[in-house]
Amino acid sequence: MDAETQVPPEPEAPRAGNGDRGRRRFLELAVGLFTSLIGIAMAVPFLGSIVGSSYRARKELFARAGSLAGVPTGRPVDVAYEEMAADGFLRSQTVRHVWVIKRSATEATVFSPVCPHLGCRYDWDARDSLFKCPCHASVFRMDGTVVSGPAPRALDTLPAEIRGGVLYVEWRQFEVGVPEKKQV
Amino acid sequence: MAQGLWKWIEDRWPVTPVVRAVLVEDIPGAASTWYSTGSSVLFVFILQAVTGICELFFYVPTVDHAYVSLSFLRTSVPFGWLIHNLHYWGATAMVVLVLLHVTQNYVWGAYKNPRQLTWVLGVFLFLLTLAMMFTGSPLPWDEKGYWAVEVGTGIAGMTPLAGDFAKRLLQGGPTMGQLTLTRFFILHVAILSGALATFILIHLVAFRRGGSTGPWSETKRRRTGPFWPDQVWMDLVVACGVFVILVALSAFRPPAFTGAADPMDSLFTPKPEWPFLFLYQSLKLFSGPAEVAVALGLPLVLTVLLLAWPFIDRKPERNPARRPGAMGAYVLIFAAIVVLSILGGLSRPGAGPAQAPRAPASALAMKTAAQNGPAGVEGGEALYRRLGCSTCHSINGAGGKIGPDLASEKAKGRSADWLMAQIRDPHSHDPESEMPSFGQLAQAETEALAEYLLSLTGRGPAPAGPGKEPEAGPAPAEAAPSADGPEAGKTSRAIELIGNARHGSRIFADTCIPCHGPQGRGGVPNPGSNDGVVPALAPIDRELFDRDPDAFVGKIDPLIQHGSRPAGPDPSRVMPDFGDSGTLSQAQISHLEAYVLDLNGVARAKIVRPGIRPSVFFIIVAAVFGGFGVLMATFGAWRRRRRKSPGTGP
Repeated sequence: MDAETQVPPEPEAPRAGNGDRGRRRFLELAVGLFTSLIGIAMAVPFLGSIVGSSYRARKELFARAGSLAGVPTGRPVDVAYEEMAADGFLRSQTVRHVWVIKRSATEATVFSPVCPHLGCRYDWDARDSLFKCPCHASVFRMDGTVVSGPAPRALDTLPAEIRGGVLYVEWRQFEVGVPEKKQV
Repeated sequence: MAQGLWKWIEDRWPVTPVVRAVLVEDIPGAASTWYSTGSSVLFVFILQAVTGICELFFYVPTVDHAYVSLSFLRTSVPFGWLIHNLHYWGATAMVVLVLLHVTQNYVWGAYKNPRQLTWVLGVFLFLLTLAMMFTGSPLPWDEKGYWAVEVGTGIAGMTPLAGDFAKRLLQGGPTMGQLTLTRFFILHVAILSGALATFILIHLVAFRRGGSTGPWSETKRRRTGPFWPDQVWMDLVVACGVFVILVALSAFRPPAFTGAADPMDSLFTPKPEWPFLFLYQSLKLFSGPAEVAVALGLPLVLTVLLLAWPFIDRKPERNPARRPGAMGAYVLIFAAIVVLSILGGLSRPGAGPAQAPRAPASALAMKTAAQNGPAGVEGGEALYRRLGCSTCHSINGAGGKIGPDLASEKAKGRSADWLMAQIRDPHSHDPESEMPSFGQLAQAETEALAEYLLSLTGRGPAPAGPGKEPEAGPAPAEAAPSADGPEAGKTSRAIELIGNARHGSRIFADTCIPCHGPQGRGGVPNPGSNDGVVPALAPIDRELFDRDPDAFVGKIDPLIQHGSRPAGPDPSRVMPDFGDSGTLSQAQISHLEAYVLDLNGVARAKIVRPGIRPSVFFIIVAAVFGGFGVLMATFGAWRRRRRKSPGTGP
């Protein structure tokens, strides 16, 4: 046994008996295995944190736009609400404006305030009951369809739902100047 | 092909001889788990380096974002909880294992000739480990770390002559702030960690050159065993054990979220990190010049003693049984440090009668006050406290900012009758007044209150007001950098800060109970409002509730920041604007929010994106390591038996 330990472990020059060499191989295997296990256990959080945080977390997309109780039915109302935006650990509040047409206590249409022509903010003309864009004179009906002007498509609706009398809106942006509604 | 490439590399970079030099050594007395104390320190150091680098991907060392960025890592980054908690517990493990390693080498007499320098280097490594813990503790910029360093730099400041200089150098100014954080950060992640890595390398080289010490018994020493793979295997088994324990601690004993550092906070108990508790506790036994002597002398004497020990104890005898003096001295000092540390850990400084947390001011106290009814200034003061007047009013600046400061009512020329009318019906003087009516008070009580208010003098010695007294706190009020930042009040920072529910409950007792009742159960009458009572906070209005802690906080925060007026013709109680008025700091509001969430069964510090849930992760790790361990043990036993049974073994 002493003889074995006094020489460097040259695999080509086995000096000890078969049993000792086998034991040695076994230990080397065990060391390799458990080193790998610790390595994997440490790599999982390291890679998991960096890869995982590179993909957006599942998050509540619908923002609370406010109670519909005081909103009149059947005509567009400019609703402003604050949306919490997160950039890593930084959070900021962004004010969003949307056009809400309340149909009933449980139903509403929400239009993006962005004109599908070139991205201006259009307005509601209560006298003519039409949406009018000040930039290039696109005109839309209350249901969003184009009456006249250069707008290539109808006004963009936003996903919305009403829960317990409260309107929740999912903010989205769409490409402007193209006939199809395509999310940016 | 591969062999050819390997030979080509070996011709230029001789890998094999280097590996052999590292691994091949005979250990006198053969391998032993006793010798794994050093390697386990090395393992934890590597773990700290890996987790520390992970933390750097997310951490920002600024006073306004350190806490938020770390909270983000811990709750919203996959495996962030594991990374931070491993780093936290790894720091404790490293100090414990270093102590164990020092003890083992002391008992084995490993510091004796020719290994004196290896020992001296080891003492420096020990000090560096402590310094890493000290500089790491304020980096989260939370209450615990902030106050730990406040205490620590205070000790440095006691040094005669150079004290102020040393303290300023550490803090980057007369008080703690951004420069403090930057300095501790750089020390922690660059200078000290670099020094630690370098010294560990030198320590290892020295250990290889000097060889293993081995057992003290000459007969045992004659037998030798190989370092590779025998000792390495034992080291690895110990390392795996340490790792599994650290994962268990990280999963089931995560460090608390103590809330963002709030220099104005006088409710938090400042204490140093546990390795320094013995020093902190021993300081309490002395005062005046003796305190200075102990604060600086004790660590100095212990360090010098450790460094000089190989040169004091020069006898070659290594058997501990024949070194009763050395063993006795070690046990005595070690025991004293352990006892002092435990006492320090248990002590509750500042909890003397002067600063004891007040009994919760209950709205119900209004009814009972008449029975106690001590008249005069003292009775009025007690009533002032019980009724929660300080929620809105201040006395010489201490208290709420919603109502006027009441220290100078006499100077304003107000009579007792005027004050009593104001207390009974605030609208009698100002129809717009938001102050609730206290018409239900007995005549004697109203008189006592008025008498108390008239006894106050502006800017005099502040009476023991019911509010906190920032001036009395350990941090100077004006110069202290606030975690709130300069923009406090404009935008709500409280929603970003993960507060501490227990801390919040104490602020709640001082501020919210008069209206919302104990544990926020509500039921306090609010005449003139549609509901007739102040709304309960537990359970809270369903509109405000949310399972997601961030969303929940987002809904209640505006109410606490800006206040609200209940629907009704003339509500006598309105929710004050605690944030806008500056009555509560953003950090304090974050504690309150954590408490309100807690009352409704939502954990503020809930891990939103765990990667793998902590308990599940632990089960996986324990199962894999345990499973392979059992497999290896069985296989080894089977081999041994097979080798013995044919009788061919040596």
